[in-house]
Amino acid sequence: MAFAGDSSRRKFFKRAGVAAGSALLTANQIWAAEHGENLPPNIPSWMQQTGTGVGAAPYGSPSEYEKDAIRRTVPWLTATPISSVSFSPLQSLQGIITPSSLHFERHHSGIPNIDPEEHRLMIHGLCGNPLVLTMDDLVRFPSVSEIRFIECPANGGMEWRGPQMEALQFTHGMISCSEWTGVRLSTLLAEVGVDPKAKWVLAEGADGAAMARSIPLDKALNDVIVAYAQNGERIRPEQGYPLRLVNPGWEGNTSIKWLRRLELGEKPWHLREETSKYTDLMPDGRARRFTWVQETNSVVTSVCPENSLKSRGYHELEGVAWSGRGKIKQVDISFDGGFSWKEAKLKGLVLDKALTRFSLDWSWDGSPALIQSRAIDDTGYVQPTLAQLREVRGVNSIYHKNSIHTWQVLATGEVKNVQNT
Amino acid sequence: MLLWAVFMIYVVHAETRFNIGHSPTTEQIAGWDIDIRPDGFGLPEGSGSVESGEILYEEKCASCHGVFGEGEDRWPVIAGGIGTLTEEKPEKTVGSYWPYVSTLWDYIHRAMPFLQPQSLTDNEVYALTAYVLYLNDQVDDDFVLTKHNLPTITLPNEKGFFIDPRPEVLNSRCMTNCLTTEQISSWSAADLGVTPVGHLSNLVPAASQDSSESDEENALAIETYKKACIICHDAGVAGAPIFGDKEDWRQREEKGKEVLYHNALNGYLGEKGYMPAKGGNLSLTDESVKAAVDYMLSEGDID
Repeated sequence: MAFAGDSSRRKFFKRAGVAAGSALLTANQIWAAEHGENLPPNIPSWMQQTGTGVGAAPYGSPSEYEKDAIRRTVPWLTATPISSVSFSPLQSLQGIITPSSLHFERHHSGIPNIDPEEHRLMIHGLCGNPLVLTMDDLVRFPSVSEIRFIECPANGGMEWRGPQMEALQFTHGMISCSEWTGVRLSTLLAEVGVDPKAKWVLAEGADGAAMARSIPLDKALNDVIVAYAQNGERIRPEQGYPLRLVNPGWEGNTSIKWLRRLELGEKPWHLREETSKYTDLMPDGRARRFTWVQETNSVVTSVCPENSLKSRGYHELEGVAWSGRGKIKQVDISFDGGFSWKEAKLKGLVLDKALTRFSLDWSWDGSPALIQSRAIDDTGYVQPTLAQLREVRGVNSIYHKNSIHTWQVLATGEVKNVQNT
Repeated sequence: MLLWAVFMIYVVHAETRFNIGHSPTTEQIAGWDIDIRPDGFGLPEGSGSVESGEILYEEKCASCHGVFGEGEDRWPVIAGGIGTLTEEKPEKTVGSYWPYVSTLWDYIHRAMPFLQPQSLTDNEVYALTAYVLYLNDQVDDDFVLTKHNLPTITLPNEKGFFIDPRPEVLNSRCMTNCLTTEQISSWSAADLGVTPVGHLSNLVPAASQDSSESDEENALAIETYKKACIICHDAGVAGAPIFGDKEDWRQREEKGKEVLYHNALNGYLGEKGYMPAKGGNLSLTDESVKAAVDYMLSEGDID
């Protein structure tokens, strides 16, 4: 936006300069020079011509002025972008739905380019009627559409030892929320006739990592979706086109992307992504396994390192909260680093295992503040402080850091990432 | 009564079954059913020795995982680290952390080598698994791994895992006087300069350390090489000229540096092989890709 304004102003000065040779500038011309010729009382240039016709962009894209709302990476985090992560720009997003283009990414062997005609879902193992399903087969089953978040369990994991990322996008951006459409996994499992001996389901992707995880049958029969659509269109390649699992509330990598196979078995498989990785090392050297649930978490997004305060006075403080166990019940805000708290209001839809937006009216008087949010879900679980988490888990567990986050507001309006509790 | 029972079964059947899809053949299932369980369930017939594993490992694995499993750059360390799990920087390897040998067989088979997954034969997977166990001091150098002995090998940390006990009740909803002044005064700020903040107008990256221009160029080249090029150019994957191989690089050099830059930046499909644009890492700047090309050429003694 700033660039366009500057450019228009330069053009104006050029023309005004010619005029100035023969006559004094009018008051309006001076005003326009200072404020840009597209501002009142001038007629904006885009009103003095026709715009682009329909069909010019059959798919469409954001305005050219919204270049900042993009996924970003932390290159030093991983050995190669082929097995890495990108972060959603939470600082730029509104509401509870993450645009599909901005959904965070985590791939273990890059994004496969799958021809849906040649994609198959095989369901086999301990069942009476193993099946191979085409995409056309899958869309014939009765479908559900549900808004659910997906979060990488390593979200926030760079900050166990201290704050090191100077941006909300990197402290919390491994969460996104979409409307997912597909078939209930329970529907497909009924179709194959689960053997009573089966207690686990192996889900496997069709990527180069053949990413796979063991999922207990109870969860599989509960709320899991075999999804083929995201936010109204077929799932994006980055998110598992043409088919993925959506495992609501559980760590993101159990929602296997590019899903090609489900196997029913008596025992878990203990694959690499549930032993070597995605297990939580405790201070005593032992590790928690099958740490599936993404616990209650929240963060203030309208004030953060990317969104510094430009003026004193009224601000609607906003943020997002979520729980892998259910609905968000309450969110409290502190301006003094957790010494005292005020209850925020929940805005818009409050859904099970979905991002939930909260807000609080706030008047900034220009003094420094330590802003925190603390979410409580409908099981009564209260988001912990980092000190409380560290006391139990130490600093080497990598995953499931859902602690209360602190933004330090300086008198200048700048916002810093700090840890105070 | 019997008729009624038959009728009920029919109704239940009709409610839960849609009769969509096809039954896979035994062959189709066998082709896709690649998972291995700790009890050996899923393991195919076959075997492999530490000795044959060593040759394969050096050819296919060492460029990323290191000759001794120590891990190059940020690629996974896979050996050593026993006894470090309670230390400040724990080293989680097959020997120090992994609970089951089956996981190793399964993972090598399904996902390794990184750029050629599912290209190994079953015997090669047995051999590589045996060699990684050897690197971790779990078997002797004359060991041969088979379908039958694999499930009998226990790793040191098998008992080091326990089921998730969460939820933990750690916090309660307090509204006033929730902290002591002492608790609130000990805080730390993110001032490490490691955040990619180019897009943030109000944040300035930490000042780079003093160094000469050529040092900086060299560091950029090496960093880029390790990030994007090493995967192929270290071992000659996909026909890539091998780092340090003078003859291999001389042939490329004959095309002229500008051609090499162009191919490295935009990708190239030739008789000898395939080069993805920027080594598949499109986030690299043109400058860093060119620096890496110069670096590879100079290590082949060509400038």
